[in-house]
Amino acid sequence: MMQIEPLVLISLIIPWVGALAVWLIGDNYSKIQHLLAVIFSVIAAVASIMMLWVYKSGTILSFPVGNAFGDFTFTTDGLGIYLSIIATVIGALAIIFSVDYMRGSDQLGRYYSFVLLFIGAMEGLVLTSNLFLMFSFWEITALCSYALISFYNDDPKAVAGGMKALIMTQVGGVGLLLSAVLVYAFSGSFDINLFLSNSALFPKNVLIWMAYGMLIAAAAKSAQFPFQTWLPDAMEAPSPISALIHAATMVNGGVYLLARFYPAFKEIPGWTLSVMLVGMLSALMAAIMALVANDLKRVLAYSTVSQLGYMVYAVGAGGILASQFHLLSHSFFKALLFLAAGAIIHSVGTRDMREMGSLGKEMPFVRFIFLIGAFALAGVPIFNGFWSKELILEAGLSHGNPLWIYIIMLFVAGLTALYTTRCVWMVFYGDREKELHIHPVGKNMKFSLSFLGAGVATTWLLIAPFSEMMRKSLPIHAIETLSLQLMVREVVFAPATWIALAVIGLGIMTWFGRDSLDRIQKAYQPIAFVAEKSFGFERINKFIIETTNSAGESLRDLQTGKINWNVFYILIALIIVFALLGTGA
Amino acid sequence: MNLSPAMIVFLAVIGLFGIGLYCLLITRNLIRVVIALQIMVKGAMLALIFTGQLNSQPSLGQSMALTVIVADTILAVIGLALAVQVKRHVGSLDLKDLSSLKR
Repeated sequence: MMQIEPLVLISLIIPWVGALAVWLIGDNYSKIQHLLAVIFSVIAAVASIMMLWVYKSGTILSFPVGNAFGDFTFTTDGLGIYLSIIATVIGALAIIFSVDYMRGSDQLGRYYSFVLLFIGAMEGLVLTSNLFLMFSFWEITALCSYALISFYNDDPKAVAGGMKALIMTQVGGVGLLLSAVLVYAFSGSFDINLFLSNSALFPKNVLIWMAYGMLIAAAAKSAQFPFQTWLPDAMEAPSPISALIHAATMVNGGVYLLARFYPAFKEIPGWTLSVMLVGMLSALMAAIMALVANDLKRVLAYSTVSQLGYMVYAVGAGGILASQFHLLSHSFFKALLFLAAGAIIHSVGTRDMREMGSLGKEMPFVRFIFLIGAFALAGVPIFNGFWSKELILEAGLSHGNPLWIYIIMLFVAGLTALYTTRCVWMVFYGDREKELHIHPVGKNMKFSLSFLGAGVATTWLLIAPFSEMMRKSLPIHAIETLSLQLMVREVVFAPATWIALAVIGLGIMTWFGRDSLDRIQKAYQPIAFVAEKSFGFERINKFIIETTNSAGESLRDLQTGKINWNVFYILIALIIVFALLGTGA
Repeated sequence: MNLSPAMIVFLAVIGLFGIGLYCLLITRNLIRVVIALQIMVKGAMLALIFTGQLNSQPSLGQSMALTVIVADTILAVIGLALAVQVKRHVGSLDLKDLSSLKR
């Protein structure tokens, strides 16, 4: 009989050991670095997949560390295992892809170390049941994302993008910290399971603070409204990193947080509606922005924001299973799209879709794979994106959720189909004006892409074991088992599905009929103009970043680096402490 | 003015510590910094012996002071050795020249 404890430890610690090992080997042995990174990430992935058979609810590992932080506890319920499998499997595939993509790059040690650290931190974030530890891992993932987005640190745009990601997620981290401190103040423990099962005992106003704090944290992490602008700027990273951030390790954290704490906050007036609104606004705005973007990776980034909006909306609508299932689908097809985009960019050397076109002839394999991912993103049956999106829309109709939000989400599904078609068309079909020199696609790239392509076509078959696992191990969330036949029957026979399919088909047709829809296009111009300016949110986010930077600059003068001043500060601080003690505080 | 012996010792402690602290605050020369630390520690040592006396545990205070003497000697040795190396590498003992990372 397999034990779960060693599996948890392996999947937690192995990535970190790997990070250390790859770092220590040194950049002179890049072949060994490639090999080690692949081996360590694959071990972690296998260990987390094996957890599927031995999941348990409740705390299973506990390291006492003294009073102030509570025990460092780890739990392996359905949500945690689910996310940990996504993080490690997609992470391992991204690393395998990197072997070709990063071949010949400098400073591979820094690259692979941070990737492995990133995976390990995400593992910790989803497996721990200690809120303080969760916050720590939360911040480690933010740090890794910063380091990897600005991996090309001689490019000022990359550095600025990394800085932006770091600051925006830190702003959200404050919300999580607030919630953690409040939980500790009122229950004397950081234990999440304890809090979830006793949340009714907490004072109402404290719960409200926590609920909105968590919402801010999740919105910042998942690049939701109003923090959505950091994710497109994170596109300066190498493509495998984009895949990692978008599909495996970073943005899923926010949706996970909302799903994890949903039972405690669902009774709070207005909270579920706010969550749905955040999801809807992100989905809608990002879809419109994706429609006017010309950078291939930017289109994919906006589509991530939009799809995450669907997941957040699903949590708000009470469809925890639907949201997590879409998270799985999205992880697969988005990782696939990003890696395929990486293969394209690697081959043609540009990211501007206007310079591409008719690449399908030269790269039939990539076109085939990219089309699978695009179909899933657009919600075309029978790929996994179709099933999970239908489940979300169904959840939006039930439970007495507002109809107008549902209708907007339906409209966004059409927009998604439209911009996906536009993207595919501009890259693989149509005409190319400039002559491009095309490199072949590497073997490791093909392996990762084929694996992901198979996943996109098949992960929806896993609905039964996943829902069963969640039902058994998450008693508070009240998730019902959904067998495969039941899901297929529900989806196929629901009229909502056919409406959604019609909308999606309409979206695709809109692209092909774009010439005859001249008038609509004209009417769309002002929206397109505003969308290119990202609806003014760019300015708000810029303001936050500039304030942070200038505050840092002015505080810098405190660090004189001169011993005389430092001694003087110590003296002043001592006097203040004595004065405080003297007043009897 | 008539000072009790305890008051004299107390003033000596404050005076030694104050002189050392003042020296530490104003000097930029590395050797002088070491000397300033020495003077401060001497004041602290005197304070230890003094409190031992006041609490009628003189041997405890004195043994603490002995420990401090040992630590203090090591500090002086290492500090001066560092100063020698700094002089060799940087060419100056000024603390301002040491901070090469500052803009």
